[in-house]
Formats: sequence, structure tokens, C-alpha cells
Amino acid sequence: MLTYLIILLDDTSASYCHYETSQKERRLIGLDDLKAGIMFAMKENLNIQFVYPGYELPAEYLEVIDSVDHTDIKPSGHSDGADVVVLNGWDDEVPEGTTCVIHSSRQELAEHLPVLTSWLGRVARLNIVLTDVETFTDTAIASYKQTLEAIADGVVEKYKAGKAVQLNLLTDRLMLTAMNNCGAGDTTVTLAPDGRFYLCPAFYYEDERQNVGDLTSGLDIKNPQLLRLDHAPICRVCDAYNCRRCIWMNRRLTQDANTPSHQQCVVAHLERNASRYLQMKLSDAGIQLNGSRLIEEMEELDPFNIVNRWK
Amino acid sequence: MAKSITFIVTKDCQLACKYCYLVGKNTKERMSWEVAKEAIDYILEREQEFNEESVIWDFIGGEPFLEIELIDKICDYLKMEMYRRGHHWFDSYRFSFSTNGINYHTEKVQRFIEKNHNHLSVGITIDGTKRKHDLNRVWKKQDPPPTSPCKGREKLPIDGKHRADTIYSPPSQGGAGGESERGSYDDVVRNIPLWLEQFPGAATKVTISSPDIPYIKESVLHLYSLGIKEVNINCVFEDVWHEGDDKAFEQQLTELADEIIDNDLFRDHACSFYSEHIGKPMDREKDNQNWCGAGKMLAIDATGNFYPCTRFAAYSLRSKPAWIIGNIHDGIDQNKLRPFLTLDRTTQSKPECIDCEVASGCAWCQGENYDAADTHTVFQRSTVICRMHKARVRANNYYWNKLFRKLELEGRREEYEKQKSKVKETTC
Repeated sequence: MLTYLIILLDDTSASYCHYETSQKERRLIGLDDLKAGIMFAMKENLNIQFVYPGYELPAEYLEVIDSVDHTDIKPSGHSDGADVVVLNGWDDEVPEGTTCVIHSSRQELAEHLPVLTSWLGRVARLNIVLTDVETFTDTAIASYKQTLEAIADGVVEKYKAGKAVQLNLLTDRLMLTAMNNCGAGDTTVTLAPDGRFYLCPAFYYEDERQNVGDLTSGLDIKNPQLLRLDHAPICRVCDAYNCRRCIWMNRRLTQDANTPSHQQCVVAHLERNASRYLQMKLSDAGIQLNGSRLIEEMEELDPFNIVNRWK
Repeated sequence: MAKSITFIVTKDCQLACKYCYLVGKNTKERMSWEVAKEAIDYILEREQEFNEESVIWDFIGGEPFLEIELIDKICDYLKMEMYRRGHHWFDSYRFSFSTNGINYHTEKVQRFIEKNHNHLSVGITIDGTKRKHDLNRVWKKQDPPPTSPCKGREKLPIDGKHRADTIYSPPSQGGAGGESERGSYDDVVRNIPLWLEQFPGAATKVTISSPDIPYIKESVLHLYSLGIKEVNINCVFEDVWHEGDDKAFEQQLTELADEIIDNDLFRDHACSFYSEHIGKPMDREKDNQNWCGAGKMLAIDATGNFYPCTRFAAYSLRSKPAWIIGNIHDGIDQNKLRPFLTLDRTTQSKPECIDCEVASGCAWCQGENYDAADTHTVFQRSTVICRMHKARVRANNYYWNKLFRKLELEGRREEYEKQKSKVKETTC
């Protein structure tokens, strides 16, 4: 069920996920489109998430935005009042008590473990968006596993010090009992500065012909069932509930929106297994998280192999 | 289980069949020996990856026998390499052809058949009576007269440079400039006796489109009269059907059932329209397999690209881009195979198909599904064939009810059950 409307206020709005916006020049959404988008969300009972560019919006825009309950996603440096701050990099100052997003390669992540650990005590939540999932090879399994376990050790220390930590790669899975994925096109849809709807911002930035309707004619998502979990043969048998299940990456790598790549599956499973590692370490330290269920041990990193064995 | 590996050796054909799904046939894209050899080397070097117990090396076009010299060279190389490498496919392989039959009698084709007979399957497509066959299977209109024998017939070597070659000349057409349509029946039927002599159990493949419906009965009976004992026949999967086609189709199949049963033809002839196993509900868990083998097969075209089946090559697609899964240089991208290898019946079917009371035997073509889909996906099953399937089921029910009653009345039911041959379902 559609629940969220993401409104990209400008072509240069901060990327909070796997896509890149660096190729785009400024294009502010039309004020009438912004108003119409808000009206659409209100009538469809959708929660709005505004994604801001790195410059001050005109006052009339801010006034319209403020007319509706919403969430603000803003880039670092222009993040006053933001609910979510997209960091520029590992050298950024993180705002206290806020949810932050950082883009990082696995290598950068491994190199910034002390920085990451220091952040975990200060931010309310940290979402790490890996920028090199697509190029992940099986030879990198051991090193990414090692990185995640090192982060988990740092998380345990935070908990021992009495601080609750939220880190998407490790702690989300602890609390999940079912898939909790991106939901592009299923629970979430995006309104772009061109006044048209897209399954998610990535589809807009990739090719504007991939729109799924506009503010005049409404949403027109073809094959919506294929965006749902029950129509994804690999994902529906999987328990890497933390996986983003990025349908844009699916389309890029496997050519079908409901089929994840080997890379996405392996990365999600390494994170799942690291969550189990964290769970064990917390348990050893006598820390029990309310609502956390035991994550089962699993060697298979790609559920595609499980599905194929059944067939 | 056998691996099916298809070489699209040419996208040219002497014919321009009206129901042909190949929308991009042309005289330019001919496989070069360099591409073929590299493809073979790629496949045979990866014995662990291609670990099926046997292999069908399939040659398709266009018309594959237009490239008989290349095919002969490919097959020689395959045999030699499978032997040299001690490959488990050596002596567990077949060469398979589906041909329009026009060049069947030629010296080069006959020499090839003689050389490879024990490992060869050849199917000649003949659609039935002359008027039925010639309705669709017509010679293509002749290109402008060539300035040299090789014009328009160039091979595409792996480096992209063209080289000239001369292989065949199209026949003269019925009228000046080829304005009138010329059917190919006479050019095919003359080769049927030779074909049946060389392959006595051979089957033919008949394709039904909307205009063919009135001729189904006479055509199947005609093929039987030519000595062909097995007729594999199916309706095209494309959206060609009109109001009332299902009723006319059912009538034809009912009348054909009468002819087959009343004249005892069922004893030693088969027609794939009639099967005891179709027209039943299907369990959404136990009967959840995909119908089509796309993705388990492999096709290679003249440029060295790999496809999950020939139907995903550009020349087969009306409205979608080619679904390329790799090439002979970079190998197969396993990610691009994942959708095919996880396909099942229910995920790609509409609720009405999942709950259909006569679902079994209702076929689909994955390539056509993709081509007709609203999005870039293989998970949207086309249902344009629905009414035709239901018509087939009704006629099929009639066939078996009538046949079994006849056999029971004659006290031959038990004998029939022991002897009946299995008719294979042919869908592509």
C-alpha cells in the first residue's frame, strides 16, 4: 500500500540512496507542481519526504512546504531543521541526535572505523549507503565480513556504555521479523522536479522516460505486483530482512525489477550474518534487546541458490 | 537432461512466412567461422558450468541450411574438440535442425546428412495442404537484381569487417519484380519422401495463425497421407486472434478428431493437439514449474552475443530491446540469467490463470511474454491465447471421450493403453 511520497525539490537535491545526482544542473520544481504534489499526498494519505538541494529555497516554497506535516532530508551544510542529514563524506561534522546518511565504498568504510564508531554515540541513527555494491566480487566477502564484525565490536562497546545505537547495516536486522525494504513503487513513490512520478529518484535520474504518471493524469504503475515481495521469487524466501531490495539496481544488473543481483544478495547476507554476530556478542555481554529474535546461522549467502535447488 | 545450444547462423531465409515472429530478418547478419569457433571454445572450456549430461547443438535461422558450409565446419570442429578434450558430451550430442526444407535435397546438405546421420535430428516444416501451406509460407519478394553474385550476402566476422561469400541465389519470382506471392509448397513437398526415407520417424511442425484455421483438418490429414506420422502443431503466441476464431478452431479440431478416430488413424499417427494431460486444474505449489526453457538454453548470434533463447535476440522482438546475457568475449553475465532461472508459473500468471479450471497444457512463450509485457520483464504472462486453449481443451475432451468409448465398445481399451505412444507437447 502506498504510504510515502518523496518530493525532489530540485534536480540537485541530495542523494540519500544508491543513485547519483552529480550530472544534474539546478532545476527547481515548479511551485504549482509542488502544491499539486502536496495536495495529491494529502488526498492519498501519504507521508511526504522533501529532499532538498544545497541552496536556500525561495520563501514561497518554504511556506508551501510548511503547510503540511512532513520529513525534511537535507544535505550537510544546509541542514537546519533537517530530520535526515545527508553527509558529504567521512570528514563531515555529524549533527547530534539526528539521523544521518553517508555514502561510502567498502574500502572507505574499512578505513574510517574509528570515525564511524565515534559517530555512533552521537547520531540518532546512521544509514550507510554502499556505493560499490554493483562491483562486489566473491573475493571481497572475507574483507567485508571483517569490516562488519569490527563495526559490530564497536557497537557492543557503545551498548556497554549505555548508548543505544542504530546503524542500518547491523542493528535493523536485530529488530525485524519480516522484510523491511525500500518499497519503491509499492509503499513509496517519487515526484520529481519535472512534475512527473517515478518509482524512486534513481529512475528519474537515469532516464526521465521511466516516469509512472504525472500530477494531471495520476499514477500509472504498470505491473505493480512485480514490485511486491510476494512476486519476487528470490526475496520472498529470504530472511535478510535488512536488505534494501533495490529494484533500480535489480533492473540495472538482472534486467528485471523483481530479481536481485548476486551482489545485492551477498552483501545483504553478510550484513545479516554480521547482525547475528552482533546479537551473539551483545548476548555474551549480557545485553538483551527488547523485541530482538535470534537470527539463525546460515552459510548460504545467495538465496538464488536455494530457490534453484528447489526447482 | 540435455543442454540446448543454438547457433543463429543467419537471419536470412528464402521465405517470408506471414506468421513468422522474426521481425528483423536480413541478409547481412551471417555468423562467421571466427565467432562460431570462439563460442564453441567458450562453451567447451567450461565443462563444469555446462554440466548437463548431453547437448543438442541446434542450428537456426532464418533458414539454417543456407549456411550449410559453415554448419558443416562447426560440426566437424565440435566433434573434434569434444573428442580432443575428453568432454562428457562426446557421443552424447545431437545436431538439430528445423528447416523449411527447400535446400534439403542439395548436394551439400545431403553430404552433411550422410556424414552426421547418427547424431542428427532434422525437422522439415510443412503446414499441410498446398493451399494451407501457401497461405503463409511464401517466397520473399526478390531483392533488386544483385550487381554481383555476393551482394547482400556478407558474413560478419568477429572484427566487424565484412567479407564476401556466395552461397545461394533466390529463385525467380512469379512475376516481374516479384509482385505476386509464390507459395513454397511445391518446393518443399518434393523433398518429403527423401526426408522420410532418411528419418522414418520424423515429425513435422505446423503453426496455426488466424487465417489457417479453416484448413487445419485437411492439413493434418494431408500430412498423414504424405507419410508423416507425427504432427506437432500449435497456435502462435502472438496477438493475432479474432472474434470467433476459437469457435472455428474448436470445430476444426472436433472434425479432425472424428477423422482420426473413425479411420483408426490414432493407432500409428499422432497429433499434438490431443493429449490426455491437458485441460486440468493445476496446483499452485506442485505444478508451479515454468513452461518454457528460456535461460536453461543458450543462443548465440552472428555478433557473438549470448541470449537465453533465440526469441530474445533483436530480430525476434517487435517492441523490446534484445535481452543479451553476455558475449563470447566477456562470457555469460549470470545476473542476467537469474530472472529466467527463478521463473515459475504462478509468479508470472494472472489470478485467472492460476485459478483456471483447464490450466494444464496452456502454453506460453517467454520471449513473446517479454515482448508483449507492459514493462521490461519476463514475469508478465501473455494471455492472448486463452480462448484458443479453451477451445482446444473442449475438442480434446471430445476426442478422448469418443476414442475411449469406441475402444471400450470394441473391447480394445486395454490393448490401446499398453500400446499408445506418447505425444510430446511442442510449444515453440
